[in-house]
Amino acid sequence: MTANCPPLFTERDARAYRNFAGWMTAAMVAFGAATILLDGRLIPDAAGWALTAGTVILMIVAMHSYMGFLRGADELLRKVHLEALAFAFGAGIVAMMGYRLCERLGAPKMDVNDAALVMMICWIGGQWIGSRRYAAEEEQQ
Amino acid sequence: MNNRLRVLRAERRWSQADLAERLGVSRQTVNAIETGKYDPSLPLAFSIARMFELKIEDVFHPNGVSGS
Repeated sequence: MTANCPPLFTERDARAYRNFAGWMTAAMVAFGAATILLDGRLIPDAAGWALTAGTVILMIVAMHSYMGFLRGADELLRKVHLEALAFAFGAGIVAMMGYRLCERLGAPKMDVNDAALVMMICWIGGQWIGSRRYAAEEEQQ
Repeated sequence: MNNRLRVLRAERRWSQADLAERLGVSRQTVNAIETGKYDPSLPLAFSIARMFELKIEDVFHPNGVSGS
């Protein structure tokens, strides 16, 4: 364990999380680029399909690396992440179903990306809450 | 669940980081177990007991039951 690791992460966890973060960043960049290029019809259809397939593959690799991180993670870290995922999933369902009712009352239509954004924000927020809940106190000998 | 982890660790003059490294877990996990915020899994509880060359019930005991 090194001083570079946050106290909740072992060195192995930090390495696995960096691997996931790298794939996730690549997937998000590809998604952003694909959205711009496809929305503006800036590339031919064949290239659009190839770009879409590449983006989806990057997302699957990111998901796979997260599963690997979670399986090998320190047990407290895994608990924090599973609680954050449960929080994000629940918040996403509540946002989607709650907003469907709001739409019937005249609110603007919600895009599927908005629900995904709610889930991602809640996932990150859930990790922060979990890490605070189990935060290490000053060491006492 | 109560435990004697802090006392046992102090007897051996191990820091939380030392124990965490020996167990292959994070320092925060050791801290959370010591402070009672987190109950370890059965495999980790056995590893901790083995580390101190004790029986699991000599390290961990249910709330309200005093340890040996």
